[in-house]
Amino acid sequence: MYGGGYIPGQENEKPDQFQDDPVKLKEFEERIDRGEKIEPHDWMPRGYRKQLIRMIEQHAHSEIIGALPEGTWITRAPGFRRKMALIAKVQDEVGHGQLLYNAAETLGKSREEMMADLLSGKSKYSNVFNYPAKTWADVAVIGFLIDAAAIVNQVANSKGSYGPYCRALERICYEESFHLKQGHDAFVALATGTKKQRAMLQDAVNRWYRPIIHFFGPPDVASVHTEKLMRWKVKMMSNDAMRNQFLSSYVPKVRELGIDFPDPNLRKNADGTWSFSDPDWDEFKRVVRGDGPCNKERLAVRKWVETEHRWIREALFNPSAKYTLPLS
Amino acid sequence: MEKSLDPRIQRLDIQREEPKTPDIKTHEYWSTYEVFVQSKRGKQHVHAGTVHAPDPQLALVFAKEQFGRRQHCVNMWVVATTEIFAFRYDDSDMFETVPEKLHREPGGYKVRDKIEAYRKKISQQKADKS
Amino acid sequence: MNKEAAKELMLKMADDALIYGHRLSEWTGIGPILEEDIAFSSISQDKVGHAWQLYQLLEQDFGMPDPDRLGFERKESEYKCSQLNELYTRDYAFALIRHFFMDHAEFIRYSLLRASSYESLAQLAKKVRGEIKYHVLHADTWVKKLGAATEESHSRMQAALNEAFPYALGLFEPGPFEQELIDSGVFIGEGQLQAEWLDEIRPIIEESGLQLTSNTEAITGGRSGNHSSDLAPLLEEMSEVICSEPGASW
Repeated sequence: MYGGGYIPGQENEKPDQFQDDPVKLKEFEERIDRGEKIEPHDWMPRGYRKQLIRMIEQHAHSEIIGALPEGTWITRAPGFRRKMALIAKVQDEVGHGQLLYNAAETLGKSREEMMADLLSGKSKYSNVFNYPAKTWADVAVIGFLIDAAAIVNQVANSKGSYGPYCRALERICYEESFHLKQGHDAFVALATGTKKQRAMLQDAVNRWYRPIIHFFGPPDVASVHTEKLMRWKVKMMSNDAMRNQFLSSYVPKVRELGIDFPDPNLRKNADGTWSFSDPDWDEFKRVVRGDGPCNKERLAVRKWVETEHRWIREALFNPSAKYTLPLS
Repeated sequence: MEKSLDPRIQRLDIQREEPKTPDIKTHEYWSTYEVFVQSKRGKQHVHAGTVHAPDPQLALVFAKEQFGRRQHCVNMWVVATTEIFAFRYDDSDMFETVPEKLHREPGGYKVRDKIEAYRKKISQQKADKS
Repeated sequence: MNKEAAKELMLKMADDALIYGHRLSEWTGIGPILEEDIAFSSISQDKVGHAWQLYQLLEQDFGMPDPDRLGFERKESEYKCSQLNELYTRDYAFALIRHFFMDHAEFIRYSLLRASSYESLAQLAKKVRGEIKYHVLHADTWVKKLGAATEESHSRMQAALNEAFPYALGLFEPGPFEQELIDSGVFIGEGQLQAEWLDEIRPIIEESGLQLTSNTEAITGGRSGNHSSDLAPLLEEMSEVICSEPGASW
């Protein structure tokens, strides 16, 4: 589901720290300028490879960790349609994780290494999943609004320069359209339901408002680094541009149902950008550092998964098997 | 750790004791197989992606759901990634065709003019005879 | 056709599929490896879907309440699922062994039902049999591999098998209308099903290096509404939201 949105740490990478062969670099950049994709065994600048691995890997982590907040309600989904849709949706998230880990592996980092980095805390995932899904209405809010935000991010990234990532995102975006529909459907059912259901939904929207504003990350600071990532078509849109696009599309869809966001300053400006109250970026940073309501549980569950099922993986491990990177 | 809101998680023992960080071993997730799906009879198998699996049988079992659940297919192949041989991308200039390859393009064969000329000639001859 | 008999048969099949599918969904997102997580979730969705279709038939053909009410809002004693499917899944070995026992029985049951004199049920059986064929392939592949792989995997699978087998025999607990079902050609009967099932699973168990315990007494009760202690909490959890606001649409 979730194009991880903004995941911190990216600004620490300096793509220029490596000395790349200037002739090859020029060819590489010309290829991107012509709108051609880069494929796994192509020559690529080391900074490009490093940045992409980080980005795709963290996107993959966001999918499998993102399966947990909604998974909270799998055994309690009300009725057959919701039950089947929720299992299918969480399944797709695991499926997206699978596709993305494969895409990242083509760049030379194994799925095992990526999982180890997730569990040790070295590698991050989208911050939004460190918040709890307290009621059934949270499933509707996540399924509608967080998925919508993720789609903005993923559609932008699917036009990037790395072939395997684009291919994975194409399929992911296709499946996301079902997620968004079913999320909207569940959202509308609550908004047009009983008084209690509406109250439940408004409460969930109130709690998710800030994490949603945080989703795309803090306002961009212009830097040589960002410019380079844009040039290489690794980063496709600025944080603010994505946030504005999301708010323009979805705030009206929420408000038409008589549900609102808990921010009197949330409004669209004449130039198409949005204003909102200070969303407390310090809180954002605190949660990223590990101090959010669910950080511990999310990682504990993944650690449990890896430990609990190890006997299965070991039983079928073949010491004489040959290995190579996935092809594409 | 606070009590999980997920009843499934509440039933795991992580609520009593926080799990240690496991050491993930090299190749613990087995090797990879490339998956090819055939969308209908008469069409070709097309590469759809990759699965991690310990052997070809489980690779097929896994591929069926990861690459067949959202698109209709009638058949699937899996091939160990190590068994696939490919060109290198930096050799892709080998694939560039120069215009002098007209001998294997349909457009490289223009017979209409000759046929027209021949027919003209024949009808001229007939006219001359009569 | 004896209506009460057909109703009884479909209700127990629907309850089995729902409760089993629900147990399978407990692994969605926390399975052994991403690929297997996806496969098991598909099977879970298929099962919940089969239950839904059976409840829909019960509503259409027998005037029973709608599927959401039937599936989510009955009293525990009104459920006719077998105890095998109710059991809380202790580990993945148990999940796989139950899956193996249950889906072989399902595959034979639905295959036989294609010839049922009750036309709607025969149609449904034709429709879902292909899905169950995959479920059986999935179960067989895992059981064969893990039964024969390492000492640890073998002993885990054998322990799960020993625990599940008496409950699996309970799948074939006869209902109150066995003879009517057989006489009217609706279904061939649980006795025949069990015999075919044993013939199917024996060679696979053998190939896996596992063993079926002999002289095993079936654990029954589920078909008459007597359940294990794991069912009540499952039902309470499953209906928590839908029952929180009676009459609401979700």
